[in-house]
Amino acid sequence: MGNYTFYKDNREFIKALESYGELVTIQQEVDWDLEMGAIVRRVCEKRLAAPYFKKIKDYPGFEALGAPLATYTRLAIAMGLNPKTSIPEISDEYVRRTTGNPIPPVLVERKNAPCKDNILTGKDADLFKLPGPMVHDGDGGRYLATWHFVVAKDPDTGTINWGMYRQMVFDERTMVGPVLPFSDMGKMFYGKYVPKNKPMPFATVIGCDPLSGIAACAPSPIPEDQFTGMLMGKPVELVKCETCDLEVPAHAEIIIEGEVIPNVWIEEAPFGEYTGYRTSPREPRTVYRIKAITYRNHPILTVSNMGVPTDEGQLLRSFSLGLEMRKLLESQGIPITGVYMLPESTHHMVVVGVRPAYSNIATQIANLVFGSKLSPWFHMVIVVDEETDIYNKDDVIHALATKCHPIRGIRKYEHSVGTPLYPFADPDDRKWSRGAQVLFDCTFPLDWPKSDLPIKVSFNKVYPKEVQEKVLKNWKTYGFKD
Amino acid sequence: MAQKEYDTFILSDPALIPEDREMELIVRDLTPPDIRYKYRSAYVCAMISKSESKYPDRLWIRLGRGQLQEKPWSMKILKELNKFT
Ligand SMILES: Cc1cc2nc3c(=O)[nH]c(=O)nc-3n(C[C@H](O)[C@H](O)[C@H](O)COP(=O)(O)O)c2cc1C
Ligand SMILES: [Mn+2]
Repeated sequence: MGNYTFYKDNREFIKALESYGELVTIQQEVDWDLEMGAIVRRVCEKRLAAPYFKKIKDYPGFEALGAPLATYTRLAIAMGLNPKTSIPEISDEYVRRTTGNPIPPVLVERKNAPCKDNILTGKDADLFKLPGPMVHDGDGGRYLATWHFVVAKDPDTGTINWGMYRQMVFDERTMVGPVLPFSDMGKMFYGKYVPKNKPMPFATVIGCDPLSGIAACAPSPIPEDQFTGMLMGKPVELVKCETCDLEVPAHAEIIIEGEVIPNVWIEEAPFGEYTGYRTSPREPRTVYRIKAITYRNHPILTVSNMGVPTDEGQLLRSFSLGLEMRKLLESQGIPITGVYMLPESTHHMVVVGVRPAYSNIATQIANLVFGSKLSPWFHMVIVVDEETDIYNKDDVIHALATKCHPIRGIRKYEHSVGTPLYPFADPDDRKWSRGAQVLFDCTFPLDWPKSDLPIKVSFNKVYPKEVQEKVLKNWKTYGFKD
Repeated sequence: MAQKEYDTFILSDPALIPEDREMELIVRDLTPPDIRYKYRSAYVCAMISKSESKYPDRLWIRLGRGQLQEKPWSMKILKELNKFT
């Protein structure tokens, strides 16, 4: 097990954010009806510090943390790294921690589980007692669960799944949300509970520690409770639920327990989504009926506001999708130099760096990633050679605009798995989660004669070392500032 | 008592929605006595009219992606339906 700095709950994380200047504490009362959402939205668009709401209208005693992980700086802090750690370094650390042996969770007693400070059951378990925000004007309802996860268990294997699946409040005891059929919980619920007409116990965890949240939205095949342990370097502490045979993080702020109901559907959405649009249709979606709510004293709700970049969904999903692709390509021995998915692309576009060791290597890369479990969530693969810095948007655009042949360099993939969230998709394709994908091959063909090969004209490439060194040494004396 | 207000999402062409007969729809309460219950949804059986004044309650109309229409309709709720018993 590793010896990493980590924050066991939302509160320690808030303190850490504050100590690094990544938090703005708002003492003034804010309205859960749009105002809080608008603040978080602006914070995301301007890449500002996370807002910590101390006073929420109509809900005395409740607090909220907005945009908890919407920047790489906050991601670095969550992982216990120096806030200035570079993206490639954070990436390497994440891959190192999440490769190897999974770390199973440990169970703690209720008395050591603050999430049991308050317990509401029966008629008292009423969702309107929680300050679910109206995140964007025009949303289909109040979304209580925007930065959270849903715990469920496979009835045959006992495997645990934690996944981030949004939940809209319908009435006192009902939530509803899209559980896409290719998600882990979708396969479990539609594949194993619905055919037997059996309700599936669930527990929604809101205001978890930051690493549990990162794990829950990561597309790793490792069960997320164990994946969290890998990120922490220590087992995550869980406690038994009140009404079912599930376990939840002991230090989380709010837990909602209940059952996912088979063969009943309620209209959900529209909702401002990660693509930066309200796209997926209002349609009958999966129904959660609740049985109990437990919460810490002075609970702190976490609130993400999805919309135009950059929110934590875009940032962390880009991060983990890209790095799972990296693991996949490396496991297949493809000579890649790195993988970077751009959060600004709303995790639709991934850049893969490769040493073009053989012809059509870009196609092989695209076939692998488009053929994987990861594929419904992105549709553009850009393959560049080692001359391009995959983390540098200017460099990637330059490669795309100059090296990708408009016909030979572009390969289209039809009949892909998609999601209802793609803004470019036809309404009928959204309904049926049908997608399409594309490869942009920005490597020069290997069969070109050497003398015909374009040479990159940059300071680093076309001057002898001595000249570069001399120029750099004299830069200030020439009169330049930096 | 002040006029009650609700809204609903209309996914087809609003022009095609029939008026003045019992129909089932999902409405959200915009003016609950306890403001914490704002946006509570319910399946109701109601009569609606595109005239703002025909029925006692005001009904705002939103299209499929949340677009609020300028003019409200009116509605009379006959009963709330429970989907879970
Ligand atoms: C903020 C946020 C909201 C999400 N909402 C949903 C959702 O409503 N339904 C869904 O199927 N996936 C949703 N996702 C994507 C899943 O969390 C993601 O696919 C995750 O990897 C789930 O993993 P698993 O299904 O492979 O366990 C969301 C992701 C984020 C970051
Ligand atoms: Mn999973």
